[in-house]
Amino acid sequence: MVQVTVDKDLEDLVPGFLSNRQRDIEKVEALLARGDFDGIRIIGHSMKGSGGGYGFQFITEVGAGLERAAIACNTDLIRNALSELRHYLAQIEIVYR
Amino acid sequence: MQLQTRFWQILRTSRNFGTLQRDRELGVGINDTSTPYRVLIVDDDSDMVALLSTWLKGSGFSVMTASSGDEALTRLGMSRPHCVLTDLYMEGMDGMTLLSRIHASNPLMPVIMLSGQAGIPEAMKAMHLGIAAFLTKPVEKETLLSNVSRALRLSSDIAETRPRFGAGIIYRSTAMAELLEKAELVADSDITVFISGQTGTGKEVLAKAIHEASPRRDKPFIGVNCGAIPEQLLESELFGHERGAFTGAMNRHEGLLQAANGGTLFLDEIGDMPLGLQVKLLRVLQDFEVRPVGSTRSVPVNVRVISATHQDLAETVKRGEFREDLYYRLNVVPLHMPSLAERREDIPALLDFFLDRIAQKRNAKKKRFAPDALEYLLAAPWPGNVRQLMNVVELCTTLTKTDIIPLSMAKSALREESAGIQTLKVAKDAFERNYLIGVLRITNGHVANAARIAGRNRTEFYKLLAQHHLNAADFRKGGAVETDDSESIDIDAAENPVDEQRDV
Repeated sequence: MVQVTVDKDLEDLVPGFLSNRQRDIEKVEALLARGDFDGIRIIGHSMKGSGGGYGFQFITEVGAGLERAAIACNTDLIRNALSELRHYLAQIEIVYR
Repeated sequence: MQLQTRFWQILRTSRNFGTLQRDRELGVGINDTSTPYRVLIVDDDSDMVALLSTWLKGSGFSVMTASSGDEALTRLGMSRPHCVLTDLYMEGMDGMTLLSRIHASNPLMPVIMLSGQAGIPEAMKAMHLGIAAFLTKPVEKETLLSNVSRALRLSSDIAETRPRFGAGIIYRSTAMAELLEKAELVADSDITVFISGQTGTGKEVLAKAIHEASPRRDKPFIGVNCGAIPEQLLESELFGHERGAFTGAMNRHEGLLQAANGGTLFLDEIGDMPLGLQVKLLRVLQDFEVRPVGSTRSVPVNVRVISATHQDLAETVKRGEFREDLYYRLNVVPLHMPSLAERREDIPALLDFFLDRIAQKRNAKKKRFAPDALEYLLAAPWPGNVRQLMNVVELCTTLTKTDIIPLSMAKSALREESAGIQTLKVAKDAFERNYLIGVLRITNGHVANAARIAGRNRTEFYKLLAQHHLNAADFRKGGAVETDDSESIDIDAAENPVDEQRDV
C-alpha cells in the first residue's frame, strides 16, 4: 500500500480524477496499438500538469515519462510507464486532511 | 476611429478596476461572496479545470470556465471576468493567441498563463505581451491563489509595503488622478506603454514612475531622446556596434538596449526615429534579440520599452513617416499626459512644490507668490507646460529680493521665459552644428569619412562646415587614431562605404 495525503477540499474530485487515470491507461493502450504517439504525448502532458496539483506527484512523474517516451516514439518506455501507473493506482490508500 | 474605440475600451476596463479598488478600500475582501471576483479558467483538461475551480471557489472567487480559446472569447463577450487563467497549450487556439486576442480588445485584463512545458522564450514572449503571471504546472494552490490575488491587486501585504504610485508626481486634478490610476494598473506587467503629450508635460517622469512600480525597479531605467541624436549615432547608441563596424567605430559599444537589460528603456520622441531604425526596433520588440551594427550574432535582451512623443503619431503613420506595425506594437496601452492648461487646478500645488524645493536647495526661506501674481499664473497659457512653470519659479525666486513675489515679477518672468523658447530656425541650426561636431569627432576630423556618414559630398560638407565656422583640422589627432588598447587604425584605409562595412 502507498499512502497519499490529499487536501480535504479535493475529496469530491479525487475519485473522478483517479478513474480518469484508469481510462488514460486504456486510451494510451489503444493509441499505442494505432501508433498514435502524438495522442499519447498529449495524455502524458496532461497527467504531468494535473497530478501534483491533486497531491499525486507520482502521477506527474509518470506523465512526464510518458510524454518523453511518446516524443521519442519509444514503445517499451510507454509500456513501462503504463505498468507503473497501473500498479500505483492499485496500491494507493488516500488520507484526506 | 480605431484609436477612439481602444481608448474607450481602456476606460471601461479602468472603471472596472476602479470598482475593485473601491471595494478593497471599503474592506471587501476575496472571501466576501456577496461581491466575488470572477475568474475565467480556460483549459481543455477537465481535471485541471475542476482542480483550479475548487481552489478558487474555496477562496471566495466566482469561477467561469471554458474548454477552448474560442469558448473563452465567447464567454468574455457575454460576461466580463476580472482575471483570466489560461493554459498555454490547448487544442485549437493556444494560450498565447488567446492572450493577444483578449488584449486586442481589453489591454488591461490580467491574464495568468499556466504551462507544463514552456521554455524561457515562451515565458518572455508572454511577459512582453502583458501577461500578469506565468506559472508552471503542476502548480501549488498557494502559488496560484497568491498570483490571482496579485493580478487583482487584492493582497494587503503588497499594498502596505509598496510606496504610493508616482509619489513624486504633484497633482490634485481628476485628469492626473485618472491617468495615474491607469498607469499604476499597467506598471506591474511588461505591457508596452505609449505616452503622448506636449513637450514639458512630464512624460519621462510618468515613465519613471511606471518603472519604479514595476518588478524591474531594481534594474536600469535608461531614457534616450530619439529626436536629439543623428540617425547613424542613434543606431549605434541603441543597438550597439562591433569594433570596426563603421568608420570611427574604434571600440565595441554595448548599446542602450543591452545596457537596459532587465530594466526599462524609455524612447522619448519616438516619432522622430528614422524609418530605417524603426524596422530594427520592431525586430527587437518581436524577437527580444538585438544585433549590434557589424555583428553577425544576435544577443537576447529582456527590456520593457516605454515610448513617448509630442506628435500625433497616428497622423505620422498616415503620412508614411512612421511604420504602422511598429505603431501598433508600441501603442498597446496609450497614456496621455494632459497639458498644464488642461490641469490648471494643479498649478498652486506645483508652484508650492517648486518654491519649497528651491528654498531647500538654496537653504533659504521659502518665498511665496502675491495673490494677484498667483491669479495671473493660474490664468497663463503655459505652452511649455510644467517645465516652463518650473523655470518661471526659478527665475522669480532668483530675481526677487523680498519673501513675496509680486505680480510684476511673475509677468516679467513669464515673458522672459516665453521669449527663451527658440525659433525653429535657431533650433535647427543648433542641431546641425552639434551634428557636424559629432561626426567630425567620431571620424577624427576626416572630412571624406564625415561627409560619407552625413550622406553629403565633400564640397557640400565643406560648405556646411564654413556656415557653422567649424574647422575639420581642430578635430584631428595626426591621421591615425589612438585606441584604448593602444592599437591604431588608419581611418584612410577604411575605403568601404558604411553600409558595406555594416554587413561584415
